Amino acid sequence: MTSTRSTPTGTQLTPGREVGVAIIGSGFAGLGLAIRLRQRGETDFLVLERGDDVGGTWRDNTYPGAACDVQSNLYSFSFAPNPDWPRTYSAQPEIQAYLRTTAERFGVYPHCVFGADVTGARWDDEARRWRITTSAGELTARVLVSAAGALADPVYPDIPGLDSFAGTVMHSARWDAGHDLGGEQVAVIGTGASAIQIVPAIQPQVAGLAVYQRTPPWIVPRGDRPVRPAAQRVYRRLPAVQKAVRGALYAGREVLVVGMAKQRALLKPVGRAAKAHLDGQVRDPQLRAALTPDYTIGCKRILISNDYYPAVSAPNAEVVTAGIAEVRPHSIVTRDGVERPTDTIVLATGFAVTDLPIAHRVTGRDGRTLAQVWDEGMVTNRGATVAGFPNLFLLVGPNVGVGHTSMVYMIESQLNYVLDGLRTMAEEGLDVLETTPQAQDAYRQLIADRSRGTVWLAGGCGSWYLDRHGHNTTLWPDFTFRFRQLTRRLDRENYVGTPAGARPEVAA
Amino acid sequence: MTALVQKLTVAVGTPDGAQLHATVAGRDDAPVTLVLAHGWTLAQAAWDDVAAELAPEVAAGELRLVRYDQRGHGRSTWGSAEPVSIDLLGSDLAAVLDRCAPRGPVVLGGHSMGGMTIMCLAAASPELIGSRVRGVALVDTSAGDLHRTPHTRAQRLQQRLQPGVLAFALAQAKLVERLRRLTPPSSPRHQRIVRGLLYGADATDAMVRRGAEIMHASSVRSFVAFYPALGEHDKRDGLAALTRVPVEVLVGEEDKLTPVRHSRQLAEVLPDAVLHVEPRCSHMLPQERPQLVAAALRRLLHAAVAAAGAGATG
Repeated sequence: MTSTRSTPTGTQLTPGREVGVAIIGSGFAGLGLAIRLRQRGETDFLVLERGDDVGGTWRDNTYPGAACDVQSNLYSFSFAPNPDWPRTYSAQPEIQAYLRTTAERFGVYPHCVFGADVTGARWDDEARRWRITTSAGELTARVLVSAAGALADPVYPDIPGLDSFAGTVMHSARWDAGHDLGGEQVAVIGTGASAIQIVPAIQPQVAGLAVYQRTPPWIVPRGDRPVRPAAQRVYRRLPAVQKAVRGALYAGREVLVVGMAKQRALLKPVGRAAKAHLDGQVRDPQLRAALTPDYTIGCKRILISNDYYPAVSAPNAEVVTAGIAEVRPHSIVTRDGVERPTDTIVLATGFAVTDLPIAHRVTGRDGRTLAQVWDEGMVTNRGATVAGFPNLFLLVGPNVGVGHTSMVYMIESQLNYVLDGLRTMAEEGLDVLETTPQAQDAYRQLIADRSRGTVWLAGGCGSWYLDRHGHNTTLWPDFTFRFRQLTRRLDRENYVGTPAGARPEVAA
Repeated sequence: MTALVQKLTVAVGTPDGAQLHATVAGRDDAPVTLVLAHGWTLAQAAWDDVAAELAPEVAAGELRLVRYDQRGHGRSTWGSAEPVSIDLLGSDLAAVLDRCAPRGPVVLGGHSMGGMTIMCLAAASPELIGSRVRGVALVDTSAGDLHRTPHTRAQRLQQRLQPGVLAFALAQAKLVERLRRLTPPSSPRHQRIVRGLLYGADATDAMVRRGAEIMHASSVRSFVAFYPALGEHDKRDGLAALTRVPVEVLVGEEDKLTPVRHSRQLAEVLPDAVLHVEPRCSHMLPQERPQLVAAALRRLLHAAVAAAGAGATG
């Protein structure tokens, strides 16, 4: 495995550095764009990465049990198939190794600036450039692409007394592998995708495990198994076979959209399968009741696991459903007046998804940040561009998320769009490319129309898919191939372009 | 916020590798610890109603309450020891005491097979009784002679076939599980059977259903493995140590599993024991009469604290 290999070095920022395209982040999105640019022979771009290696979410989430919920044959770049996946669903180290190998293979590392945390990016309307400040220096870019992602910045819950806790507190996305949980009383707060992977991984080693649950997730069996060497050989010799497997996996998952977004009754068999999974693994009637969701399956992300239910049913485990009232230096107190001694708190509380942190750092033409512009809800044209923010593209921004299939598919759709935007600018000799408020309004309407009646809005649950106004601003609410169609080319009619040297065009 | 209740979930290990799911409620410095052992095919939840009765004392810091699932029951695992015996459950209880009640006076409460568990502990570790253990409540239980000598031909035939039937049930556990699922605890038929077998005239439907749900969650293996163990249980000559501490014996007048004669027998062997036969009740007194059971436990707890306060050796 590549984890022992030293990181190939990136580049440094020199004072007054100017670049054609600056990409924030080197996860699947940023890396994908860099690779596609390299494939086209482009070299005038930089990848600004706050960490010390590529990988993004898959570099940061090193908690025990971290793995992907989507089969690796589907959760990988279409242009960089990997015949050597060791398992059908790969774990974090394998995915991170894949990203590193792929970055190296396509020559991305020389374009990476590591340790460059973007602290601000301001559109300079005079110069028609983005002025970017990072922790590794400053630079100017013609086009700015935020590939900062949605699962990037951990959310720390606002629990009274959490600061006063005398033991160890760690977020799942900032795991401290040096901290030994052996023999400790451990509290895991949250029951989302991270928690259900952490809990079975740590349950056998801790003295006592309390899982603090607000809403139980729906969980279906995980069909994970090693990939047979014979299959790997076939994939290596006949890439078309692996491509066919990928296509079949994609199609199988896309069927779920029919139930989630079109005809909710079709989710019933999925719900029954999940309930049978729960009943088969948990005998204790009280625990079973606590673990049974009261909302339609699919409303929150459907999780997959074979070992979460056995782990919370283990003799040393407990699921706590009373809400947390406060944290004390050596314990957690719940609203039912019960105090549980606690040595370590694991926050599996997820990420800032509906309030993207990068939006607070990007300032548009009128001096307002993206976050300020988005205060009443995130609006974009096709999830990628925002009026008032010229030459800015967002990857993994609003309404690009998916809960049922591979995020990489959505990212590759977005790459087509961004690359066509860059091509348009080059062909037409444009200095500035900016979408219109009318296009944003139309796109917001499209998202609202397609979200209506979906399980995410009507399934009877609150989730990180919805913003504080209850609008779907994170998920793509339709078949993902429809998103691909929509982003195959830049919708030029929805953009105002300013040629180099010309006065700004009057917005239509 | 009012007084907080400290709670801890503990997996108690046994020498043969079983992990017992124990729940400890109350402060470490409480003056006395109560350990409750449940019956065959039940789980610690069978004590829920009694625990609710005692909750104020736990919250006030006057009592530490330890409940646990017997091996192979509830959320406890099986160890490597085969075949299982009630004596093994007695040594499990000793492990629970070691881990969850290492200091201070202890009162033990056992229902049905849990009562037999306490008898086995007393027989195997008599030195604990009077020193650590300061009181014992034996509810709907027996010192032995549960599978009586058959009198009729039908009874003899039944006894001859039993081991084969049990072995078959265990081998076909998956099938039996599927058959059990056909009549879930929510079905009236299921509840009628459970009521007839275990509950007295005063039991409510909710009570019966709750008990049926706990038992339904138990495995075929726990039924099959402990059935012969119950038949072999005989501690009629091993209860001498229990004469050293206050004992309360409680039984439902209509108990069909451990009929009243078993409790009378206990009262004879333990002449100082208080015997209470409760009318209109059967084999599930902790559910049928939680207040009665809690009152008996309270008397034992008060006596234990008083004795400790008076400077009894510990």
